[in-house]
Parts: sequence; C-alpha cells; structure tokens
Amino acid sequence: MSLYKIKKSTDCIIETVPAQKILEALGIRKGVSVKVLVRQPLGGPIVIRVGQRDIAISPEYAKLITVKEVV
Amino acid sequence: MRCHSNQKKVPSNDDLPKILLIGNPNVGKSVIFSKLTGHEVIASNYPGTTVTFSSGKIRYRDNSASITDVPGIYSLEPTSKADEVALNLLNAGADALICVLDATNLERNLNFALQLKELQIPIVFALNMMDVAEQRGIHINVMDLEKELGFPVIPTVAIRNIGLAEITSKAFACMEQVAPVESFTLLSSEDRWKEVGRITAKVQRLEHRHSTFWERLGDKMMMPFPGILIALLAVIASLGFIAGGGRALRAAVLLPIINDIYAPFVSSVVSSMIPEGIIRNILIGDYGVLIKGIEWPFALILPYVLLFYIVLSFLEDTGYLPRLSVLGDGIMRRLGLQGNDFIPLMLGYGCAIPAILGTRTATTYKQRLIVSVLVTLAVPCISQTGAFIALLGDRSVLVLVLVYFLSLCIIFFGGMLLRRVVPGQSSFILIEVPNLLMPNKQAFFKKIWIRLKHFLFEAGAPMLLGIAVASLVAETGLLIDFSRLLEPIVVNWLGLPPEAAISLILGIIRRELAVLPLLEMDLTTIQLFIGSVVSLFYIPCLAVLGVLVKEFGLKTAAVLSVSTIIFALFFAGLINQTIRFIMLVL
Repeated sequence: MSLYKIKKSTDCIIETVPAQKILEALGIRKGVSVKVLVRQPLGGPIVIRVGQRDIAISPEYAKLITVKEVV
Repeated sequence: MRCHSNQKKVPSNDDLPKILLIGNPNVGKSVIFSKLTGHEVIASNYPGTTVTFSSGKIRYRDNSASITDVPGIYSLEPTSKADEVALNLLNAGADALICVLDATNLERNLNFALQLKELQIPIVFALNMMDVAEQRGIHINVMDLEKELGFPVIPTVAIRNIGLAEITSKAFACMEQVAPVESFTLLSSEDRWKEVGRITAKVQRLEHRHSTFWERLGDKMMMPFPGILIALLAVIASLGFIAGGGRALRAAVLLPIINDIYAPFVSSVVSSMIPEGIIRNILIGDYGVLIKGIEWPFALILPYVLLFYIVLSFLEDTGYLPRLSVLGDGIMRRLGLQGNDFIPLMLGYGCAIPAILGTRTATTYKQRLIVSVLVTLAVPCISQTGAFIALLGDRSVLVLVLVYFLSLCIIFFGGMLLRRVVPGQSSFILIEVPNLLMPNKQAFFKKIWIRLKHFLFEAGAPMLLGIAVASLVAETGLLIDFSRLLEPIVVNWLGLPPEAAISLILGIIRRELAVLPLLEMDLTTIQLFIGSVVSLFYIPCLAVLGVLVKEFGLKTAAVLSVSTIIFALFFAGLINQTIRFIMLVL
C-alpha cells in the first residue's frame, strides 16, 4: 500500500522506496518502520516518523513509497 | 548576515593545517565553530542555516590550524547549491575532519560517518546534543562507538561548552599522528546501512518513555488543527510585539532623548559655530545629517530591527520555522514553491540579503529565482517596516494595514504568475523536522547582538550617505531641477508633491529612504498611501542589488531592478488615477 494512503498512527514497515539519494540519506529505506503523524490538506505533506526523526514528505514522494502494515 | 553574506576567505597562510567541521544539517556545527574560533556566525535550529562556509583559526598550545564551518550535508552526493559548496570544500582536501554527530539521531548520522571514513582523512567525532538524547531516554555507549568507528568520539553539549576543549586537543593530536593506512573495502549503500544497524544495535540503548510535553507540542504544531490556530496566534503575538513594542520604545524612550535633548543641543552648538548658510543647513537643516542621521536610524528604525530579530531568533532557535513550512506547504505550492522556501521569505521581512542567500538550500533554480523576485519586489524589510510605521502609524493605521495587505496580494499573485512563466521545475517538500527546543539563553542573545551589530555597520553608513545626498540636493537647489525633471511622473501620474522626487532618488540607496522623506512633507491620506505603495515595490537597496548580481548575474539583476522600478511607478500611479477617477465620479 502507498505510504500516502496509510491512516495516521498505524505502524508500518517500508517495502519499496524510489531510488532517490536524498530519501535514502534521510533514512527512508526498505525495512525501516514508519508511522504517519500528521496529514496536511490541499496537497500538503504528510509528516512521518522514521527512527527518532520526523520528516515532512510531499505526496509526490509519499505515493511512490509502499509500506506494509504491522499487525 | 555577515557570516552568510560574504564567503570569508580562508586565512591567507595556506601552510596552516586545515580542519573541516562537517556533518548532517542541524547537528550544531555552527555552534561548535563559533565556540572554537570566537567568530560570530549565526546558528539556528533548522536544517540549512549555513549556506556558505566561514573559516577561522583555532589554537592549541603552540599550534594553530584553520577551521571551516561547512554547510550540513546528508550524504556525499549533492542535492542542492549548498551541498555543492560543502562537497567542493571536502574535495579540496583537509588535514583533519571534525564530524559532528547528533546523538538524538544516531542511526542516520552514522551512515554519514561511515561514508566519511572512506575518504581516509583523520576524523574526530563530536557526539553532540548528549543532553537532549538523555532526556529522551537514548543512551549511547561512547567507548564502544569509538571502537567501532576507529576514531576518537567525544560526547558534547556544544551549546554549554561541554566537550569542546577535548575536540580541539584530539583534532590536533590526530593530525600529528600518521594515520595507519587501513585497508578496507568500500561498502555498497545497502551494506553500509547494515553496518549502521549493527553498530547502532550494539552501542545504543533506548529506554521507552512517554513523549515529553515539547515533543507533543511539536507534533501538534504541524497538524492542521490546532497547528493553524497556533500559527495565527504566533503571528499576532509577533506583530504585536514588534509593532507595539517598537512604537512604545520609540515614543517613550528614543524620540524624547533625540528631539528634546540631542537635537536642541546639537543645533545650538552648530548654530553658534557655523554661520547661516548651506553648510549649517546640511548639518542641521531639513535633512540635517547630524539630526536626521541620528533620528532616522536610531529612533525610527532601530527599535523595530531589535524587536524583529528577537522574534526571528526565538522562532529559529525553538525549531518552529520548519513546522510553519509544513503548514504552509499547500499554499506555497501554488506559488511554484514549497514549504521549505517559506523560511527565506520570512527572513526577507528582516533583510533581503540573508533571504536571497538562504535560497541556496532550495533545490531548483526556479524556486531560487521566484523567492528572490518576490523578496526583492514585495517583501518590505524591517527597516522599511519601521519607516512605514513612522509614516503611517499616527496618521492612518488603515493605510498601514492596506499597504501590507497589498504586499501579501502581490506576493501571492506574483508567485502564481511566476510559477507559470519561470521555466524549469519546482521540487517537492522533503525536510527533516528538528526537535522543538527551548532556546539556549546565551546563544539567543548572542545571535540578536550579531544581527544588531550587523545592522548598525551595514545599514548605518548607507543611511548616512543617503541623508547626506538628500541634504546636498535639497540645499544646493538641485532638488528643484530633479523635481522639475520628474514632475510628469511624480506630480501628474502619482499625484505626489514635486519634492517627493527625492524619495525616488534615495530609495535606490536604501529601502526605508524611499519612505522617510515623505515624513517631512504634508501629505493627504491618499498621497501617503500612494507614496508607500511606490516605495514598497520600488527597487531594493544597493546592497541587495549587489547580492542579486552575485547570485544571478548582472543581466538578471538589471532586469529585476528595472522591472521593479517600472512596476512600482506604474502600479502606484494606476491606483492613484483610479482613486481620483472614482472620486471625480462620486
């Protein structure tokens, strides 16, 4: 499922990430656990927690990242 | 700001060993740099504060070395203009690196640390923000980390000077030793992350605790609700503090000192020494250098500069600005920008120079250009705001509000237009949100002091020059010739008195000088409004012009300057003619 569609506060694991150096450098990569904290309307970003950091990420990036919910 | 506006030269003594201070964005490099060298650089709590490098000298016992504060980078591959600056510095070679790691975010910082190790330059690691990490229940075994990295690791709390002396001694020590040539294979990025995972698991222990008040507040600030409410309150409080506080300071303290004590004293001294005539008038006449040269910068402008920088520095150091970027991203996208470009726009309300330089963190040329055009055209700097308040505060608050409303409209519609006409792509927001922190008092006051000093030195001289020019042209009768020359524009088109031509001349030197001469004229409310609109959109000051040339080249800077002048005159005149037409009809 795309990261952009995940409900707030659901624990997920990242499955695929587009090959962008900056995403990787920010620690957004396969196998990392992630949670959506904030959702902005009007095409604004979502804020995700990766490790101990909060990262604001635009829908364009978030839609390309797929995740799996942790049950 | 000083450190970011001019790339200070690396000390000419090239024989000094070279140390680079390097690390991820927003880990505290600039704090460490200013503490180690005593140099004054601006440090803030958001990624991308440092966009160009500054260099200084550090000493240890009898040795000295040059040290350079490198803009923060996430990896050794460039993603923005500021990244290129950093990588060029690194590629030029160094004798040692001081790599600053953020203890609250070890994993990602270690990934960068491992990349650095591949460069085969001796490194000292500063594990910074140990205090914040402890508060959050993050415990790091420094000895084990040192073993894993193979280089010294020093726990630091830079803002409170903890661990800094040791960094210096270790840095000098590691330059003296001949580094053992370690043979290791370059890791693929996947293997590197595996290695990071292994080290982190070994050296870091996370204690589970509930999020602190600051963490929860930091998250809430980014949510549409209550985030937008908090943002509105912050804006209202800031405006109230700056505008209200500034007026109070001016009325209660500064104007009485200058008008009741200083001015009469200087006037009587000058009058007793210099006979009536041009020279006396230049000194103490309508644009008297000794009177206006003190009253304008110190009584009318300085209070607002001081209060603005108190607010800005507070917002910067708490880490609130990136949260505003998150909230504002949706709107900024419509202007061809993204949330992160909000920070340079905001800096523009202080001064356009750091704003334009701040766009270096923007990832595309299109965004850099849009922000710079908007700041140059429609964002009044704090000096100009002070002048607007002086001109309109007592006469018509409505006009004051109208001027700022117009400025916002032009920013908005200008952005929408530029988004369509400027070629190229805009990038999408992808930023790290820093921890929300209470500013460190010492660093906070120091930063305000740096900015205030910068204002006095950088703005004081051009302002005096402008006032001197004004008094010269006014006293020698040149103004009458100028006024006659510009009469078709100033009087017929703009509906201002002929002597307002002086604003158009001085406005080229500094922004507030387009406004302040209007104080001395007896203007109607409509004229006040028109005069303010002209100066709002008019060409920015000479110093900004210089920066535009440096950043975008002579051609772009020239086109921008000429178009702002034409736009200001055309637009203000259009408003004037419309108002007059409506009044005629009614």
